[in-house]
Amino acid sequence: MTNLVIENIRRSLGRTDQSPLSLRPDIYEPRLPESVDSEVARFLDEIKKLSGVSQKLSPTNIASALKALIAEQNIRKATVWNTAHLRQLGIADTLQSLGVELASPNADKHEIAQCDLGITEADYLLSETGTLVLRSSAEKPRAVSLVPRVHLAIVCPEMLRADMHQVFAEAKDSDYLVFITGPSRTADIELTVTLGVHGPKNLYVWMMDE
Amino acid sequence: MTDTHPYIEFEKYSEHVPPSIPLAVQQATSRFVGGRAARVAELPQWEQLRQIGSDIRQHTIENMDVYLTKLEEKVEEAGGHVHWAETAAEARRIVLQIAKENNVKNVVKSKSMATEEIELNHALEAAGIESLETDLGEYIIQLAGTGPSHIIVPAVHLKKEEIAALFSAKLDINAPTDPIELARIAREVLRERFLNAGMGISGGNFLIAETGTLVMVTNEGNGRMCTTMPDLHVAVVGIDKVIPDWASLTVFLKLLARSATGQKLSTYTQFITGPRRAEGEFGPKEFHLVLLDNGRSKILKDPIGRDVLKCIRCGACANVCPVYKNVGGFAYGSFISGPIGAILSPQMYGTQTARELPYASTLCGACADVCPVKIPIPTILRHLRRRVAQGDELSESSMPAPIRATASLASLALAWNWIYRLGARLLPIINPFFRKDNWLSGMPYPLNRWTKVRPLPPFGARFRNWWKNVRSAKETESPR
Amino acid sequence: MPKAQLFITCLGDQFYTSTLKNMTYLLERLGVELTFPPEQTCCGQPLFNNGFEDKTRPVALNFMRAFAKSDAPIIGPSGSCVSMVKHHYPSLFKEGTPEHALAVDIASRTFEFTEYLVNVLKVTDVGAVYPHKVTYHASCHYLREMGLKIEAKTLLNQVKGLEFVQLNEEETCCGFGGAFTVTYPEVSRSMMENKVKHIISSGADTVVTCEPGCLMNVAGGLHKAGSPIRAMHIIDLLASK
Repeated sequence: MTNLVIENIRRSLGRTDQSPLSLRPDIYEPRLPESVDSEVARFLDEIKKLSGVSQKLSPTNIASALKALIAEQNIRKATVWNTAHLRQLGIADTLQSLGVELASPNADKHEIAQCDLGITEADYLLSETGTLVLRSSAEKPRAVSLVPRVHLAIVCPEMLRADMHQVFAEAKDSDYLVFITGPSRTADIELTVTLGVHGPKNLYVWMMDE
Repeated sequence: MTDTHPYIEFEKYSEHVPPSIPLAVQQATSRFVGGRAARVAELPQWEQLRQIGSDIRQHTIENMDVYLTKLEEKVEEAGGHVHWAETAAEARRIVLQIAKENNVKNVVKSKSMATEEIELNHALEAAGIESLETDLGEYIIQLAGTGPSHIIVPAVHLKKEEIAALFSAKLDINAPTDPIELARIAREVLRERFLNAGMGISGGNFLIAETGTLVMVTNEGNGRMCTTMPDLHVAVVGIDKVIPDWASLTVFLKLLARSATGQKLSTYTQFITGPRRAEGEFGPKEFHLVLLDNGRSKILKDPIGRDVLKCIRCGACANVCPVYKNVGGFAYGSFISGPIGAILSPQMYGTQTARELPYASTLCGACADVCPVKIPIPTILRHLRRRVAQGDELSESSMPAPIRATASLASLALAWNWIYRLGARLLPIINPFFRKDNWLSGMPYPLNRWTKVRPLPPFGARFRNWWKNVRSAKETESPR
Repeated sequence: MPKAQLFITCLGDQFYTSTLKNMTYLLERLGVELTFPPEQTCCGQPLFNNGFEDKTRPVALNFMRAFAKSDAPIIGPSGSCVSMVKHHYPSLFKEGTPEHALAVDIASRTFEFTEYLVNVLKVTDVGAVYPHKVTYHASCHYLREMGLKIEAKTLLNQVKGLEFVQLNEEETCCGFGGAFTVTYPEVSRSMMENKVKHIISSGADTVVTCEPGCLMNVAGGLHKAGSPIRAMHIIDLLASK
């Protein structure tokens, strides 16, 4: 089924239905990863450059780290991705035991909007730019990394990818993918950089060293 | 509301630019230029990336029908709806219809130049639908009722005191002048609207034909809010935004943020393929993609001019343009300003409406040096000047007759060298009438347009005579 | 002994006789045998850049015929004029015509002055003496269309007594742009004033450039600003002893 716009295009270009598609020009070779330690260090450093807070953590320290975060950011209500790994780490339970009210990640958007903290994992990480790559699903809803004013991502080295190429090759079939590179920011008012305009103001990234 | 664009009065505006505009614009441009330079220095393969980016965009434009057809197929496969809008009016009609069918009363909008191009907000408001800009800069200028002064930071011409006053008046509050506080107020006000809007409208930076994916590059999170919270998402995107595949996208993502603001990547890059698939996750149940032509398919006819369609809307050209930096965005009379505006508007609105724009340049070439997809802007400017001055296959001349007559006279005088040489000998005669301090000032039209800004050196063509009569006599005169 | 033809440019002709004389002296001192075809008028750039391509053709033909009488290279004191000949003359004429062939030939042997000295004659020291603080404005077409990024500074480097100070925004357009000065005079004014401001704050007592057009604009602007800073064509500086 042709339409006016496609017809206009074809007429302008002198192409027909049968005109072949010429080859797309070559892309450069993707970047290869350096050592895991080097990639991890680079990733965590980039997060800091973006005004995020990053640290390495082992599972035994999670509870105390959460306690510190709750105090520092005055967290009263939180929502957590319902993934196997986060369940295994006991994140939701730990939060509850620390007195934080929990909302289901699938709760109504108004309830999610009352949460101060959203905790997610990541599907991939890009070290060069300090980017978290998140897919979305029923257990990993998009709003958790977006709506609360604090976003905590609990990640591990296996998620690292050297270049966007690798991420796209693996994730291009998703219905939704988001790259998160630092906390929300703007410079719209007199070029003063302001964090947390509509997205989270504070980004925490904890790299598990298991 | 018609599709004819009002005549763009660049000269008239440029004669009385309020000094605050260049001052503000230059603060933005120098920040972005510095950032860009730092990011470019980090990437030794920058020039290679630019070339690949240029080649891919070229290839895509030349095969646009194939890629758009594939895009439509893939978007529909993913459960989205594709609408084709040949004109701006058609695009407005489509969006209004979707809104009506879904009983939408409130729309939240993320920043989209395509929607500004079609003046969508006016149409929605006329139909009784509230359409709120949610990007902070766009929100501010929507409240202020002005246009954008810069492509990336549209409200940069407003001081924080002015913005505070604006918020106080429009929101019925007592807004402080601190930018951080003002942003917090915007966050609170807009949060409610995100959560309650019936429809989210966005633009798009790229459309990946391979999988039917919309790519949105943003910083604030409002783009994500608009396309996650409401049940309905409508994206209005120019047909020129299509790219072949994900591999191509890696090139553009490496080029875009670095060129625009000096970031490695913008804060949020979203990749949206159709409506949400699973229950229990957030996201729109319905996704509509409105593909906007509005003259782009016509621009494709022109092998030189169509390079303008390679543009990825980074704003790097504006950031280095000395003309733009001295007049700001309003002078260009359209949703898009700076060097790219000077070559897009005449092609989109015609060289009758935009005949002043191709001349709004000294052809210095700084823009071409920084364009991430190597659009040869000075070449296209000259090409469009030809269209204005003498007309071409696509358009008649729109140059006023007196200027064409002057050009004819000049051509005659310069081609028939005896006329030129006679004139050169006679011109010094007028010197005494205008001479002051070894300069000429206060000259009559048209030279007054020069001398009102700075004096002219006195006319003194003596070399020819010297060569013929003096020099031969003294071969070894020492230099002065 | 190398031969060359002098391309004096219309602005050079009207306003900068002494620069043209100095160009003659300098080239002859370097052993170049010079001729000057008097039929030359203008390269046609003002018409071409403003979209009057049809009206440029007769002007270009006059130029080409004037310089076709000799097969010696053509030297001009202006990057933009030379660029017009080198980069745009061939495109004015249909391929396969004798005019096109002539344009290609002329284009191939037209050089800007500093380009000719540094890249053809391989000369960087012309024995100039100029004990002053000098700053340099990089003209747009000279820099970007002709790609002459180091030639001027290479020559200035060899001038005895010269103290070079970097101009802030050295590569930013001065606002001349040919007819731009009369098409959008107020924008031209802002750009010129910006350039003058940077020249004054550089601390130099001399600003040098390789374009008669930029020179007219900047020199006039400096005078209007009441500045004693001297604006010179690089040729005049190189001719100083």
